[in-house]
Amino acid sequence: VGDQLDRWADPPLLVLTSLADEPKHGYSITQDVAETMGVRLSAGTLYAVISRLEARGLIEPLESDDRRRPYRITAAGARELARQSERMSRVASLATERLRAYLGWAGA
Amino acid sequence: MRDPATPPRATMMPRAALALYPPSWRSRYGDEVYALLDESGGGVRAIASVAWHALPAWIRPPRHLYDRPARMRASLATGLVAWSFLVGLGLVFAQLTQFQGYRPDGHPVIAWSYLVFDAALALSVLAAGLGGLPLWLLMLRRALRERRRRNTVYLLLPLIAPAAYLVGLRVALQFGAGPQGVSPSWFGIIILAGFAAAGGLAAAAIGLSLWARGFTGYQQHTVPGVYLALVVATAAVTAVSAARGARAALASDAPGTAEANRL
Repeated sequence: VGDQLDRWADPPLLVLTSLADEPKHGYSITQDVAETMGVRLSAGTLYAVISRLEARGLIEPLESDDRRRPYRITAAGARELARQSERMSRVASLATERLRAYLGWAGA
Repeated sequence: MRDPATPPRATMMPRAALALYPPSWRSRYGDEVYALLDESGGGVRAIASVAWHALPAWIRPPRHLYDRPARMRASLATGLVAWSFLVGLGLVFAQLTQFQGYRPDGHPVIAWSYLVFDAALALSVLAAGLGGLPLWLLMLRRALRERRRRNTVYLLLPLIAPAAYLVGLRVALQFGAGPQGVSPSWFGIIILAGFAAAGGLAAAAIGLSLWARGFTGYQQHTVPGVYLALVVATAAVTAVSAARGARAALASDAPGTAEANRL
């Protein structure tokens, strides 16, 4: 799953991150991602991502009385998000460390 | 922002964008996408994004929405549509190059274009045949297994009707034509009308067999309709080429033509 998730780039991770604290429906996800992560997800991208994440069991739909169906992250989704965020943390740490060395060497 | 509990607006653009998706995807997520477009105010960019993502939904559908028979029917219909477009394009090209004073042999680009068109047509015939064959065989095998005689006949008619027409045409030409044969125009008319009749019969048979197998909706109309268009377009190309060839052959036999051709 991890390798396939990498190929989708960021939107699946943004959606999983948005659902990590509480269930949300489509519009709430786009609002949350825009406000907290600064990325605007279009309707087409969002539902392409939701259908993939649902197919892989990383999120699941909840019952709803109106047309807005909320989604919540599953245990598998939480594990996947933890793995991806750990990898991103390692990359960020490494980037910061090497950047500091580079800036020190360059005399900046 | 609109109240999400209210029914979706029947605006044309979101409807058209969602119509591009596979039916299973649309029935699962359609209402939610409508709600999101309503809440976010829609807009051309949002709708364009929805339309754009229909392509991957067809090419790589999510596992839980995979609909094998629908995909086969859609592939068949798309293949036939593409083929009919190609044949139509060929007709336009033949009209422009053969009847507007150009001589195909005299211009290398036009001669090469004919070769490219012939190769593309042959490949597309092969692809359409191979693409539609599994569905046809599946339906035929089921009809034979369930001993549905009428269904079996419907499915075999696309083969029987053109074959019967060609045999009938051969017999009619053998015994009915005069010493000079039929004129190029009549030859074209016979080809065109005969293929159209045989194709119409076969298209009706395909439609009936789809209906008998419980397929309804756009597939039932699209597949036979496209098949009929395909047969008529192919017949038209054949008729135009045959009439043109026959006319050229007759002209070359006429007195003084050899001299004219040398000029």
